[in-house]
Amino acid sequence: MRGDSGCDRVGVMGNLQFIGLLNWSSENGEDMSGKSKLLKVVLLGDGGVGKSSLMNRFVSGKFDVQSFHTIGVEFLNKDVSVDGDNYTMQIWDTAGQERFKSLRTPFYRGADCCLLTYAVDDIQSFKNLSMWKKEFLYFADIQDGMNFPFVILGNKCDVQNKVVNDSDIQEWCRLNGNAPLFLTSAKDATNVEKAFIAAVLRLKELEDFIETRQTNADTVDLKKKAKMTNNNSCCN
Amino acid sequence: MAAQPQMLFEKDSVFIHINVNSHTSDKDAYIPGKVYLLHKEEGHFIEWKAEDVVSLDNHSDQDWAFIGSVGYKPDREAETGSTKIDLQKKYNISFDIFDLKSFKRSAPNHGWAYIIFILKDGTTYPALHFHTGGSKALLKELENFLHIKRSANDSRLFIIQDHDPDMLSKSFDELQLFSDSSGDLVSKFIKDPYTTTLGGFSKVTNFLRDVLMQPEVSVSRPREEVAELLQEDIPGMEISHQDEPGFEVVTKTRLPKRPDVSRATPLASEVWSKHMDTDGRIKDVDQIKEVIFRGGIDATIRIEVWKFLLGYYDWSSTYKSRTEERKRKVDDYFRMKLQWKTISLEQEKRFSLLRERKGLIEKDVTRTDRTHKFFEGEGNPNLQVLNDILMTYCMYNFDLGYVQGMSDLLSPILVVMENEVDAFWCFAGLMDRVYTNFEMDQKGMKLQLSQIHQLMQFVDTELCSYLESHESGNFYFCFRWLLILFKREFNFPDVQRLWEVLWTEKPCKNFHLLICLAILDSEKSTLIENKFGFTEILKHINDICFAINLDESLKKAEGIFEQLKQCKKTPSHVKEIIGLQVTPTRSIPKSSSMPNTFGREGSPRLDLPIHLRENNTSAPSSGSGTAVTTPEDSSIEILPENTEQSVTLVCN
Repeated sequence: MRGDSGCDRVGVMGNLQFIGLLNWSSENGEDMSGKSKLLKVVLLGDGGVGKSSLMNRFVSGKFDVQSFHTIGVEFLNKDVSVDGDNYTMQIWDTAGQERFKSLRTPFYRGADCCLLTYAVDDIQSFKNLSMWKKEFLYFADIQDGMNFPFVILGNKCDVQNKVVNDSDIQEWCRLNGNAPLFLTSAKDATNVEKAFIAAVLRLKELEDFIETRQTNADTVDLKKKAKMTNNNSCCN
Repeated sequence: MAAQPQMLFEKDSVFIHINVNSHTSDKDAYIPGKVYLLHKEEGHFIEWKAEDVVSLDNHSDQDWAFIGSVGYKPDREAETGSTKIDLQKKYNISFDIFDLKSFKRSAPNHGWAYIIFILKDGTTYPALHFHTGGSKALLKELENFLHIKRSANDSRLFIIQDHDPDMLSKSFDELQLFSDSSGDLVSKFIKDPYTTTLGGFSKVTNFLRDVLMQPEVSVSRPREEVAELLQEDIPGMEISHQDEPGFEVVTKTRLPKRPDVSRATPLASEVWSKHMDTDGRIKDVDQIKEVIFRGGIDATIRIEVWKFLLGYYDWSSTYKSRTEERKRKVDDYFRMKLQWKTISLEQEKRFSLLRERKGLIEKDVTRTDRTHKFFEGEGNPNLQVLNDILMTYCMYNFDLGYVQGMSDLLSPILVVMENEVDAFWCFAGLMDRVYTNFEMDQKGMKLQLSQIHQLMQFVDTELCSYLESHESGNFYFCFRWLLILFKREFNFPDVQRLWEVLWTEKPCKNFHLLICLAILDSEKSTLIENKFGFTEILKHINDICFAINLDESLKKAEGIFEQLKQCKKTPSHVKEIIGLQVTPTRSIPKSSSMPNTFGREGSPRLDLPIHLRENNTSAPSSGSGTAVTTPEDSSIEILPENTEQSVTLVCN
């Protein structure tokens, strides 16, 4: 079986399905570095800033000018490898209009990171970032918002008429936990992959930070840990 | 550098049918391509490529670069050119065979054999039609790598068994599954006691089977935290679980056998004119509606008949009164159009609500049906018409405003009417029917989702409890179906057919909910036997758009209606949803029907957290504060219609 990468792959998938994140060794007895962790990523922002396009660009490498606006919720999975760790990113894309809030927010639960998106040619979408962040934190039920991995995406950076100042958005990011900022273009692929991967890196970084703190104090928010417990209990 | 992929199987003349239900012999509806089984460095892949671009030598690295991704999004490169082949390339398929969860084959009597591949995460590809054979050969090839079992409940469905090294050798035994003689199928099942047992139990009682499968389900399902909380977390949406589930299962009412119903030919032009008297009055409205329900409307007279169905013209109107009515409507339309057209940029600066809506509409208009020939191409003037109608609708119903989904509802109407004023009024008529879908509190949507649940609880206990135990009892995955009346699930001809059928309000109120049940019934084995959880169900349902057979669904839905009508034990809350009279009285006292029908969801209670309300009023982007009616009002809106409907049905 050695050398048959197909079999390796099914091992990875089987692992994911059966025992979640726990340590696991390959059925073939091979030393597997391929344990894949499921990361739930939520993509938020005003209608028309390009959330679905960003997701499609990242997952399938394509851009479609003729795409529809999203109705309800959709998600796509993508396997990525970051610093030698394998992840399956499950990216959730929702309808951005205020009206559908009550049917959108339940999907925030259990998110590992959140990509807040605006369009550089739409000042209102930038102004609403705070609203989106607030909505996310409330419905994802996250206590420690400062230590949650947000990544900010300024999409449509390929357009001519930018109306959001770089300094304004940088200031906003600074005031919001120094969230990483990426000026992206789903259309020409600029920074899209970087931004999604940054979400994983940010998550790792903050997890390490929380774990460090956790050894010092018991009262720290253990969102990630609480989640792990849930997993184990439902996969026993 | 990746090594050259090794080709294990190749077959040409494999087509994707875009218009699965279309009766026209539109050649563009079939995209020719080739299917491959490839051994690559990363694994074994099934691929399908549109014919003109398939040539292994031509593949740049880019073509293979995204195979790691799971999830099907039509692969769209049509950005630059819109040549046919570019458009067709977006359907290209590539997946690792170890991501495969199951597949569906065509029925034996179906013309061209097809295969629908379904991945572990619920991703469902369009059917691959093998016009010159080869589907069996491909599946045989696959059996060298996968352990495949036929479903005991759905002979078309095949499940890939979870990978297990011991199984691999066993899988060769199953090879005969694809042999020509379907007769030895039974012996295969006898060889496999587990499946046979399960199948047998399912015939005795569905409940037992559910219990049997339960442990396996919880083991193999990927973790999911969202979903368990979902039910309680949609504010104002309450899922009523059976009070005594155990009891309910034991006494489960057997519905009478689902009757076979037939569809008929569309309402033809001659028939339509024969139904008018000399003044142009429709003589027998009910009969006309019956014809439309049974077969739809011939495309050539839709432009006229839809105006009656959508309340543009009254059924009792005459040629003369219609001419006057039309003139009135033209004047009224342009009066309202002028209202927003004459708002200057200066004014607009101080009119944030209008500005917002204008922005939203602009954004959505450019993303509505742009592949349809009526709207395709840069600067298509019909986009401006779409835009203007939606803007004018904002002035017509400022309280409701513009909500995403409306452009989807307008587009097929505009395509039929090809006239701004007529399309506007027909759209307004359609909105009168479905405006609760778009209201601020989303109460109409929540009500319908819970009504589907109530219906399914009675019609199909097994599927209902499966969905409930897989965090899908809220039926959220039907949201898109309901919001825009299946607009994105079918191609244009089918959407138009479906809508005109629904507008007849036959055979019952809320017939669209029975269509939801019918479609889910067709997907039942796929959902249950693949042990799909919340996310997989959502993805599968999202992906089957354009793969739903409209006529079959309509027939099945009508069959379900007949079952409910004939069954003596149909509970009153179920009857009320579809407008079947509970007791044959002509007048329904408000007090008696209100609590039953709307008691759960219709009450003015909306459990929005306090901060949300604040958010609504402060968030600058929100179209908030635009709730059209108070809860009391909306109940009143619904009630008379309900009463009328019941009476009509009794008279039938």
